[in-house]
Amino acid sequence: MTNGENQGALENLKDAILQYDTEAAKAAAQKVVDQKIDPKIAINEGVLSASTILHERFERGECFIPHLVMAGDAMEAAGYILEASIPKEQITSKKVVVIGTVEADLHSVGKNIVAMFFRSGGFEVHDLGVNVKASSFISKATDTNADIIALSSLLTTTRPYMREVIEELESVGLRDKFKVIVGGGPITREWAQEIGADGYGTDAYEGIEVAKQILGISGN
Amino acid sequence: MLSLLEIAERAQKGPKMDENAWNMGLFRAMNELTQKYGILYPDDQPVFNCDDSMADNAFEAAIEFLVDTGIYCLSTGRIIQLTRTEIMDLIKGMPKQYAVGEGKDVRILKQRRLEEKDELNHCPGHHAPFSEELAPLVIKSFAEIPTCDYLEGINFSEVDGREIFGLPMEVYAGKREASWMRQGVAKAGRPGLAVAYYPINTRAAVMIAPIAREFGLRPSDGILLSVLPDVKVEQDYITTAIVWEEYGGFKLNGNGSGYVGGFCGDLGGAIIEGIVAIITGWIVYRDIASWGAVWPSTGFMSGQKVPVNFSEDWGTSVWAQALHRHTNYILFISPPAISGPGCETQLLEVARRAVGIPINGANVHICRQGRAHMNASQSPLEQEWAFEVASAVMHNGLNRQTAGELVRKIGDELRTRTPEAPYDDIREFYDMVHHKPLPEYEKAYLRTKEVISALGLTFI
Repeated sequence: MTNGENQGALENLKDAILQYDTEAAKAAAQKVVDQKIDPKIAINEGVLSASTILHERFERGECFIPHLVMAGDAMEAAGYILEASIPKEQITSKKVVVIGTVEADLHSVGKNIVAMFFRSGGFEVHDLGVNVKASSFISKATDTNADIIALSSLLTTTRPYMREVIEELESVGLRDKFKVIVGGGPITREWAQEIGADGYGTDAYEGIEVAKQILGISGN
Repeated sequence: MLSLLEIAERAQKGPKMDENAWNMGLFRAMNELTQKYGILYPDDQPVFNCDDSMADNAFEAAIEFLVDTGIYCLSTGRIIQLTRTEIMDLIKGMPKQYAVGEGKDVRILKQRRLEEKDELNHCPGHHAPFSEELAPLVIKSFAEIPTCDYLEGINFSEVDGREIFGLPMEVYAGKREASWMRQGVAKAGRPGLAVAYYPINTRAAVMIAPIAREFGLRPSDGILLSVLPDVKVEQDYITTAIVWEEYGGFKLNGNGSGYVGGFCGDLGGAIIEGIVAIITGWIVYRDIASWGAVWPSTGFMSGQKVPVNFSEDWGTSVWAQALHRHTNYILFISPPAISGPGCETQLLEVARRAVGIPINGANVHICRQGRAHMNASQSPLEQEWAFEVASAVMHNGLNRQTAGELVRKIGDELRTRTPEAPYDDIREFYDMVHHKPLPEYEKAYLRTKEVISALGLTFI
């Protein structure tokens, strides 16, 4: 295969994701495998570079939360095919995020955006929804071997439930196992520090960057 | 008309659906309806809609959504299904006006006509956090706004020096909020003024506990029971609605809005979602009034400049017109600001949004401060300024066309501004003891008024 053909296959993969087309993304990923292109290069240049473009589109109002969901589906489907061709010992597992709005709080818009940013940024995301108890966060994070627990709150009076998650992690001896990041309307950097969170994001863009930073992942 | 108990039963027994499936189904449905009914921003990019058929189509799309898709109950994961006949029958039952408060402080909330010139209803308030030592003074100062028809509550993180954490403290704090509200309005010399409880959080116990004739919420008071984004409702809210309905207090929907870029999709979807949210608030909670608009779901808090997007003004006008042409609903519009507490630029932001309030047949709601934090949010000045601008728009006889030109000019002016550094505490820019802005803030107000006057609005 020529470099041009390889580049074309990677472009096709990226385009399929940017068109939110799962079937086309699967076909493009298969073609990448058939052309014996290094799947790790395909993941970086085909899949993850699409996520950067998607996030920029979202910021400009050119795509919406559902588009991020559909792009995430396409990325996931293509990712399975590409990963299957990577020797097991070389597979770097996806970073896992457990996200939700804390107990007694039903606000979801900001949390949904952050969840979709993570997903389309190549993370495995488990969105627990709203009004989530500390024990549910911990149980899901344990079950999925999560790297990050991301907590959202939009009420001043529900902020303490963020601290409760961290305190419960400490009490069951799991605090060091997960990084905890926090965000939402009443949340400040000071509050994040006060409760001992590992990171804080003012918005979805900062949230995902902070997560990458604390996990030691370089940007796309 | 279907009762709240019937709705509660349907929320418990309706077809089951996964939340993600609902979200994406909502997106597909809104997309289809937007195309089918042609809910698209016109090429000439007006600020206010002047096409009645657009409003009619948006309303029909909203009804079709409710009939075909229903309402999602988040707590049961079930869909509340309704027939067209049931929905239309419920809509007919919406009150056109509603009395709130007691004694000499009774006020009538009413549906306004588009571009109407009668006195506006005015709901100032907080929707923001304050410390417990400051809260009573803040409440008193807002209740001193002469045009205030009812006052919405506050949020706080401590009560009696203890952190509000856990159900017992939350219930106790809810009761204290109600009593502070009652004391605050009494201190302002308006003991019968209606207060609208801003729930400490959304548990039924916390929302029901403040009901108390003596020192809590009276049957002449209200509570905020809001529809959640993406046409979702919730059982604790339904529970509270049933109790409040029997008690006699009024209920308000704090989210009759559509969010561009959310699961509803684009601007057309957000308009339809906003109309659906208003109707849903009435059907599921019997909310007698609502505030709302068409908003962006993101980008509102980021960046240094204030985003100015006239398509959202247009979307809000289609939303309001659809509801006016087909329902009796009492609408409020909030003129929010995002540039920060005490900023001069936020006064311009408030003015820009306030122009549309009478044009859209709405009343004046809280000037919410997008960057509010503990003891720093909107002051009574912004609230009075919003009312002043909206009243001037009526007295100047502006219509959709001329008001649109004014909004465009204010928007252009806003685009040139970079918001000033905000204050950290309301006391740094407003004197709540004497109910007046501090000198610097008053100067900012007078300068902004000059700017708006120069753009063509005459103040009486």
